[in-house]
Amino acid sequence: MLEVTLIYGFINSVILALIALGFSLTFSISGVSNFAYGALFILAGYMVWIFVNLLSIPFAVAAILSVLLTALLGAGLYRFVLLRLRGLVISEVIATFGVGLAILEFFRYLGWTGFEYTLPVFTDGSVMIGNTYIDHQRLWIVGAGTSLAVGLYLFTHYTKVGLAFRGIAQDERTALTLGVNTDRIAGISVAFGAGLAATAAILILPRGTIAVNEGYDVLVNALAVCIIGGLGSTAGVVAASFMLGYAQMFTDSYLGPHWKMIVPLIAILLILAVRPSGLFGKQKELEERI
Amino acid sequence: MLETANLMVFYENALALNDFSMSVQPGQVVAIIGSNSAGKTTLMNTLSGLIIDTKIKEQRKGGERITIYGSVKYDGEDITELYPNERVKRGMVLCRERHPIFPESDLMENLRIAGYLRKRSEVEETIRYFFHLFPTLDRLRMRKAGFLSGGEQQMLALGMALAAKPRLLLLDEPLLGLSPIMQKSLVDAIRTIREETGLTIVITEQFARPILPMIDHGYVIENGMLTLEGSGADLMDNPEVKAAYFGV
Repeated sequence: MLEVTLIYGFINSVILALIALGFSLTFSISGVSNFAYGALFILAGYMVWIFVNLLSIPFAVAAILSVLLTALLGAGLYRFVLLRLRGLVISEVIATFGVGLAILEFFRYLGWTGFEYTLPVFTDGSVMIGNTYIDHQRLWIVGAGTSLAVGLYLFTHYTKVGLAFRGIAQDERTALTLGVNTDRIAGISVAFGAGLAATAAILILPRGTIAVNEGYDVLVNALAVCIIGGLGSTAGVVAASFMLGYAQMFTDSYLGPHWKMIVPLIAILLILAVRPSGLFGKQKELEERI
Repeated sequence: MLETANLMVFYENALALNDFSMSVQPGQVVAIIGSNSAGKTTLMNTLSGLIIDTKIKEQRKGGERITIYGSVKYDGEDITELYPNERVKRGMVLCRERHPIFPESDLMENLRIAGYLRKRSEVEETIRYFFHLFPTLDRLRMRKAGFLSGGEQQMLALGMALAAKPRLLLLDEPLLGLSPIMQKSLVDAIRTIREETGLTIVITEQFARPILPMIDHGYVIENGMLTLEGSGADLMDNPEVKAAYFGV
């Protein structure tokens, strides 16, 4: 029992990290909030489903296509919705959440639910670790999640665009005086986050069916991870994912699966009450000097 | 190299710059001397294009409160309406007042972010030059910029502007809030930059004494209007300048 919980807790943690990475990239690293994140996640899932089942495109091509299209959609979201609102955080949140609602509820209206709405697994089969069976898809998730987290860290610390992300998150005007086209970089960061949402969806959704409600769960989980980890650090995202991931899995094993969903909500409340800047958050007060 | 003609800037009805004309020749160090609210920062924002960014952002949100008349010419090109990053591409870089840095990044990362438009090798070269200018910062490479002292932050901000490879460097009140010793080392650094690289520099300041000795030409600005101009030596000898801007 404990072994299963530990192993599945690990996998669950990687899934959370995978979900949170894209959201964290746009929201905390480059400072643009995209609350349509969960909707983009589900949309990418449906996109792959349409490509594979209605247009008979091979899965690999469909997957890449949907990542690119979702990223493009993110860029469009920035260009036509967020651009005018930049800097008004509350308006950014409301507008993107509104777009997300529209996308998700559109699929609910279409009535696209049920067992036929599933994505194929990458490879079929399972392996034994100790006495626990793990299917290949979960191994893919762990592999891809780890490499994405490492890749994202390297990207934001060692590439020009990644450094520009970090620049505009800290001080947009200063970035502007150094020649960063802040509007374009912010747009790229939204596109990038959307692409990551799609990647996460393609990896994670094959475990079950594509369901509209999961779009909301994804957003709540991503928010929880970012709030617990503290905004702005990839390391914080990873650490918070593991805390939340294991907390969820232990709750699942010892209290029952229906308690699992309230874990992130309780965690958000606790963190906001005890340490609002998050476990790894920056103590902004100390660093601002004039 | 830089020329403004009859520049006027309104914030709603408030006139921040009034009929301001100046010119900067290549290789010169030019000072803009003025007290608080004289229009120094507005001038710098107009030169660097930051005001265009603010204007566009306001327009997107539905307001229109900034009006600019007159022209800014750089290398003969009219850049009055040019977006700031385009001006940086052309070699015009502003270091804003109050040591603008990225507080959560370490010192080295600040310099690397600042070299966004330049080749990696050029940035590394500037970083070496930066530590040649400010050897005391060498041991603080990994220090978070927000934890540096005010003077060190100002040095870093200057280094960041250099990392953007300017041909014309705009410094908005680089000495603001610094101790006399810090002021001296910054002035020395600016002088060294000028001697070693021949960079063209425009500096704004409230107190003229530390910078007048190294400038070629100075403008005195009051309530957005040009009241006096002349060489550094002329301004040093001018009793009005002495009374108003020497802080005695």
